[in-house]
Amino acid sequence: MKIISSYSIKGGVGKTALAVNLAFAFHETGRRTLLLDLDPQGAAAFYFRVGNAKKLNMDDSRTIAADLRKNIRESDFPGLDIIPSNLAYRHFDVILNGMSKSRKQLRKVLDEFRSDYDTILMDCPPNITLLSENVFRASDAIMVPVIPTVLSQRTLEQLFSFFRDEELSCDMLHPFFSMAQKINKMHREIIEELPQAYPGFLKTVIPFSVNVEKMGIRRMPLLAYSNNCEAALAYRSLCNEIISITKSDPHS
Amino acid sequence: MKAGLPQNRNSRLMLSGKLPCELLQNHYQVSISRHEQTALTFWDTFEWGMWFGGYLLYSSENIYHLCKLKDGWLGDEICSEVTDILPRFKEDFKTGRMQKILTGILGIRGLATVFEGTLNQLQLEIRNDYGKIICRLDCSTISSKRAGNEKPPYSCCRVTPLMGYEAESGNIIKLLARYQTDESQEGPLELLFKQMGRKPCRYTLRPVFGLDFKTPAREATGKIVRSILSIALSNLPGLLSDIDTEFLHDYRICIRKIRSLLALIKGVYPDGAVSDIRTQLGEMARSTNRLRDLDVYLLARGEYLEMLPPQLRPALYSMFDEVAAERKLEVKNLVLDIQSAAYQNTIEGIESFFSETEMHGPSLSADIPVGQLVFRQMYRRYKKICRMARAIDAYTADEMLHQLRIECKKLRYLMEFFRELIDDTDIVAMQKILRSLQEILGEFNDTSVQQKTILGYFNSKRDDIDIALGIGGLVSILYYRRQQSRRRIVKVLNSFCGKGMSVVFKRNFKQKKLNPKV
Repeated sequence: MKIISSYSIKGGVGKTALAVNLAFAFHETGRRTLLLDLDPQGAAAFYFRVGNAKKLNMDDSRTIAADLRKNIRESDFPGLDIIPSNLAYRHFDVILNGMSKSRKQLRKVLDEFRSDYDTILMDCPPNITLLSENVFRASDAIMVPVIPTVLSQRTLEQLFSFFRDEELSCDMLHPFFSMAQKINKMHREIIEELPQAYPGFLKTVIPFSVNVEKMGIRRMPLLAYSNNCEAALAYRSLCNEIISITKSDPHS
Repeated sequence: MKAGLPQNRNSRLMLSGKLPCELLQNHYQVSISRHEQTALTFWDTFEWGMWFGGYLLYSSENIYHLCKLKDGWLGDEICSEVTDILPRFKEDFKTGRMQKILTGILGIRGLATVFEGTLNQLQLEIRNDYGKIICRLDCSTISSKRAGNEKPPYSCCRVTPLMGYEAESGNIIKLLARYQTDESQEGPLELLFKQMGRKPCRYTLRPVFGLDFKTPAREATGKIVRSILSIALSNLPGLLSDIDTEFLHDYRICIRKIRSLLALIKGVYPDGAVSDIRTQLGEMARSTNRLRDLDVYLLARGEYLEMLPPQLRPALYSMFDEVAAERKLEVKNLVLDIQSAAYQNTIEGIESFFSETEMHGPSLSADIPVGQLVFRQMYRRYKKICRMARAIDAYTADEMLHQLRIECKKLRYLMEFFRELIDDTDIVAMQKILRSLQEILGEFNDTSVQQKTILGYFNSKRDDIDIALGIGGLVSILYYRRQQSRRRIVKVLNSFCGKGMSVVFKRNFKQKKLNPKV
């Protein structure tokens, strides 16, 4: 089982679109896939027409896992399940803080799903909190959408600094360009230069696309309704890159 | 221990008539994700081996599907096979799993059509107010060919809730449950088969006749004859269509049994009439002798060939070809015979003689309790076999062993006819040893007959050196087997006539008059 996170300190960069479409792309490859929506806004589940999760009992990793399991919703696409979000997730930090080994609890929770899924994708809230640190320690790869702008460049540097300060492995960080517009000169320049500073930068560039915006109206992953558009192909390419990097095996 | 994801979440409902789609549409968004209509034919053996083995085999065009029989309907598919021939026997199927399962069920029986109709499969997706699929609904209906375009009488509906939507799907199940069929002993597929005049029923050559010790002998005999005769006649359609060799085999057994019963129970009917019927039955059985012999050779084809080294096998191919050709002719003759007016008259005469309403004149043993009559017979037969056994050794003439086989068969038939009157535990032990004795005697007899017939065939092919080699090899092996059987006969006879069995026979049959089983 591989655990992959969609994470950025900055909001509005396409994290949820990445999580939703990447989950769909993984399920297309035959991998049993679980999308875990950790963002209290609950947008990832919304895209699958799934309502909010019920409140969790958060005594320890076992009870969290048991309650998460109760909240699993089968999507309309066989082999792709979702654990929707709940506003109560905003208290995750406080609860984790009260536990021993509070930075490794999420990994223990997700280990309970090892026999059921080949891939778990996490859509994470945009901040650095104890929950984020748990995500960093639980993930096999962290995918970081970066809009080719100066601000995004700055937050990416902040993230790498944090990893270095916390002695976390920067190798698991995989930034990639999101919502890129070829006609924008600044975008083109940043796309050209920025990857040179970060060895884990992925090659695939997700273009800005009206089709992606329409996910809110269609309430399904882009890949489910616009199979061959440029953005859909880019998400699939991204999926292949991450499969290769994480050496993810399909379910036999 | 990890809980794991929930499994087997689907519910199955049998509905009267078609799926009430409109009713569902009033409450939910309903979309069709698959709709298929295919002609299908169900296959089974005469004994309903597939059905009672918990399977269904149906074909649609040239694809054969093997399914589980679940709640009297098509269950999960186990495997399927595409074939260009019309398969009848297990060996006609080539894929591993199909052949493995069918081998266990069919044995040497052939498949025949039991139902022809149309399978209609519909898959629906049911969505809630958010447009989210909450369950999938698979609905299948089968309509019979005979019923034409009439509405299918039943729909089998499988509701599969998506994980996390079990409660919402429960409402759909409740909605459909209103249309659920009434509790019925007969399953839906069974009722469909009934439309075609077919009903799965257990087949046995050893039915229960409903006798007890005190049943008057004539009443008991009538019950047994009617029952066995109906089994014999039930085999005729399969015999006429030549579906497999077991129709003839069972038909012959039934005829022999009736004939044997009439000889064993003397004085139950006025003598002359019964004697005529025995003669008629004898002729009926004799007219099938040659065909049965040929069947036995052809069934043993593989075994015969395996007895020989590969280089000698081709010599026997022509022998089997000749047997197969002769068999065709014999079947043709038998069919003509059975379809003749004379045969029909004979059967009608026998049926009428043994019918419940037929009045016969008085006879010596008509009204005596059947137990009293047959227990005496059984004990006498046992003693006779023991007397014969004492004279048997490694040098006894074949004819003597043949006679012994016939005596054993008489005793076995008697015990079979009247097993309802015998102690349950003792009958098992008695029949077990009698069966093994008969098997060995049968084997001895078969090898003797086969050896003679094969040598007879050789006499007509003396010039062919290859055939001479093949036949020579085969006859040697048959002779060796025959000698082995002879040695085993003596051994089993010792147990059969030994003190242990002797006590059991005496306990059950000699004193039965004083302590009958009620």
